[in-house]
Amino acid sequence: MNDSHEPKMLAFLCNWCSYAGADLAGVSRFQYPPTVRVLRTMCSGRVDSLHMIEGLKSGFDSVLVFG
Amino acid sequence: MSAAEGQAFADFVTELTKTTQELGPFDKEKSRRALGIVENVLTSPRLRWLMGMDRQLTQRENVFHEKLDEGRYRELMRGVVENEYQKALLLDALGDGPLSVREMASATGLPVYTVSMRLGELEKSGRADLHSYEGKTPRFLKVAA
Repeated sequence: MNDSHEPKMLAFLCNWCSYAGADLAGVSRFQYPPTVRVLRTMCSGRVDSLHMIEGLKSGFDSVLVFG
Repeated sequence: MSAAEGQAFADFVTELTKTTQELGPFDKEKSRRALGIVENVLTSPRLRWLMGMDRQLTQRENVFHEKLDEGRYRELMRGVVENEYQKALLLDALGDGPLSVREMASATGLPVYTVSMRLGELEKSGRADLHSYEGKTPRFLKVAA
């Protein structure tokens, strides 16, 4: 991995699926880069396009939505 | 993604980190205006009303008992997004000071005809107004919200 620029990424995770998936990834000790900051939502349908704009405005390099 | 797909999550994050790295850091100061324009489009009441109405409009009907097929709905959405984007571009340009229609056209890269159409809509909704005359050329200004 190129260390010159470590991106900051915002991830919206759904409480019922991807959040549990991310939890499982942690429990199972799968290696993945520490670049995402996780925001749990009660449903990924709750995520509005404005939330993504807000994420970019707050200085994240990318915004991800997992559902 | 299901709760059982821990490996898939790790793979997605790895892959998307790589993509983000290739894109390079996001300069929020440089993109402030562009983000403002996009935000303006996304908060526009017309788009807000239409968002998430696809099932209602294509499978059921609206209050006038009209039903749209999916092609028509997509066409409608595309038109509204384009229209609102043009208006947001104009408002962004008008924020810099009073401009004539021609100046707006060159600032936004839109055809003069389109500018005048969208400007009319902005005036109607009270978001832009006549500011002054320069000779015979009218100049317009954004109305502070």
